[in-house]
Amino acid sequence: MAATRALLAAISACPRRRMGIKSSNFSSSLQFQRQESRIIARSFSSYTNSSSLPDISCLAETARISLTPAEIEECEPKIRQVIDWFGQLQQVDVNCVEPAIRAEMEGRNLREDAPQTFENRDSIRASIPSFDETYLKVPKVLNKE
Amino acid sequence: MLSTLQPPRSLTLLPFRRFHGSKTIASLASSSPTLDASSVSPPQSQILTTRRSLLSGETTASEIAKSYLSRIRLTEPQLKCFLHVSENVLKEAQEIDQRISRGEGVGPLAGVVIGVKDNICTEGMPSTAASRILEHYRPPFDATAVKKIKEMGGIVVGKTNMDEFGMGSTTEASAFQVTANPWDLTRVPGGSSGGSAAAVAANQCMVSLGSDTGGSVRQPASFCGVVGLKPTYGRVSRFGLMAYASSLDVIGCFGSTVADAGMLLHAVSGYDRFDSTSSKQDVPEFESQSLSMDSFESKPLKGVRVGLIRETLEEGVDSGVRSATQEAASHLEALGCLVTEVSLPSFSLGLPAYYVIASSESSSNLSRYDGVRYGNQVMADELNKLYECSRGQGFGGEVKMRILMGTYALSAGYYDAYYKRAQQVRTLIRKDFKAALDHNDILISPAAPSAAYKIGEKKDDPLAMYAGDIMTVNVNLAGLPAIVLPCGLVEGGPSGLPVGLQMIGAAFDEETLLKVGHIFEQTLKGSGFVPPTLPNVA
Repeated sequence: MAATRALLAAISACPRRRMGIKSSNFSSSLQFQRQESRIIARSFSSYTNSSSLPDISCLAETARISLTPAEIEECEPKIRQVIDWFGQLQQVDVNCVEPAIRAEMEGRNLREDAPQTFENRDSIRASIPSFDETYLKVPKVLNKE
Repeated sequence: MLSTLQPPRSLTLLPFRRFHGSKTIASLASSSPTLDASSVSPPQSQILTTRRSLLSGETTASEIAKSYLSRIRLTEPQLKCFLHVSENVLKEAQEIDQRISRGEGVGPLAGVVIGVKDNICTEGMPSTAASRILEHYRPPFDATAVKKIKEMGGIVVGKTNMDEFGMGSTTEASAFQVTANPWDLTRVPGGSSGGSAAAVAANQCMVSLGSDTGGSVRQPASFCGVVGLKPTYGRVSRFGLMAYASSLDVIGCFGSTVADAGMLLHAVSGYDRFDSTSSKQDVPEFESQSLSMDSFESKPLKGVRVGLIRETLEEGVDSGVRSATQEAASHLEALGCLVTEVSLPSFSLGLPAYYVIASSESSSNLSRYDGVRYGNQVMADELNKLYECSRGQGFGGEVKMRILMGTYALSAGYYDAYYKRAQQVRTLIRKDFKAALDHNDILISPAAPSAAYKIGEKKDDPLAMYAGDIMTVNVNLAGLPAIVLPCGLVEGGPSGLPVGLQMIGAAFDEETLLKVGHIFEQTLKGSGFVPPTLPNVA
């Protein structure tokens, strides 16, 4: 990361967006350095406070994904690099800008809240790894305390 | 060996113009495009040709199906486009032949051999999203898009390889196999719909379905030299498409011609009560845009306003790609278009905003894969352990990374700083596109900053991989339609590597994209991109 920051010292600042002012071109958010036939992207200068960088083990527990120590060691620098890169969005002026949940919708497009029986329930049951008559079998839940 | 393969003899396709790739783009760019109809014939629609030859009795659906299955058997060891080939292909083809022989009507896609990306549910056929966690999963239902294809007589020949759950740009992140680019077997086909793109390029199927969240139809179309069509968000039902990022995902179409991609889109489009984000907008008859070149006027695109996005031709884009795009712009001008440069000031913000949104939404969408109701289960003493082990062992590295990044971006204290802020940036991007499309009928750009990478080149550097999506992600954030079609070759591979031109339209204006794309394709000298490693089509 230190080498990346040194490289990035020479790179122009990320686009500073004010309403109505043009930002710089796309390469200012990702600087491309050609080495022979390869394009290597370097993350921008760090915007994220190091104390707020993710604790991978905690995130894995939240996401209910088990990671081996080797996996943590491999993915931690990559995740931190990407989260650091996300930080450039902090520089954008979004004052008075409404968040867009998705592309524009035509209006409410809801159906009746009326349940319908699926005609091929046997096929659904066939996919269940542990099934006992009407129940999906799972192990007990233990309180962590 | 690929060089000894015979083309499917039962197909009565008109001869494609074989593009003998040159080392530089100069030979394509140097001659000005003409509309001389006496020159070599342009690529023909496989859907229309199949329809004509079946209804005239020239061939049968069974003969066509056998020849495609034979081609798949011969080419798959090298290409690895398919995760599963259907056992019902010949049976479905025979049913079509029987209907024709009884004088009964058949649908507009009768006999058309179609590949389907493996994150689109197909009843009774494995649908794994190229993930171990769904390794043996067979859905109990067809996706709406698949149901429509079958109702129109289309034959699903198999499920194509992809990056796991759509997370990737090379198809190397599949849990099962790496697909090779038919133009150069040492290179990637692009992703995440690499299998679908490569299968069409290699003539293993006539058309195919993919999905596009950040460019996953358009970028592989560019890398493989085929047409890739991303519809407007809401045009095609997402019911049965395994969700990656629900506000960005669409089902898209691949074909060897614009006409084929358009006809497939028409077949799968339309409102669906099972998808509350699907649109009730009328679906135009896209086939009518596929006029014969004989009917073209001298300037068939006269008055069409085209905006070339300035930010897409700056530093960081391969010089060959830049030349090909500029030559494509010249070709459009020769056809009568008014081509000007436009600027999208928020363009560079699209990439980080996309990855925040996509990671965040995927962390929520993939929480359903817990080993309880479907998919591979790793038994444990305690429920949380069962979740953790099933997911830990079932998901690949890239999927795990994106879920963790998304979990972080949505967590307390960070939601406003990342996810909400990315949504605000999406608003800025939408406004810029709307402003540009208020003054232009379409916008154009390269589909990717380079041609296809070597296998393994980007695998260990996530930001280098993400950087390749710069041309495509903004279109998903804005929910707009776009089409990519091959416009030239750059150096690389045995005979050059294809690059694609991206055309972006206003919301629900696929008609204009298909009209412009079709005329561009039919008048481009050297069109009919056929990979040199594959045999000639008779």
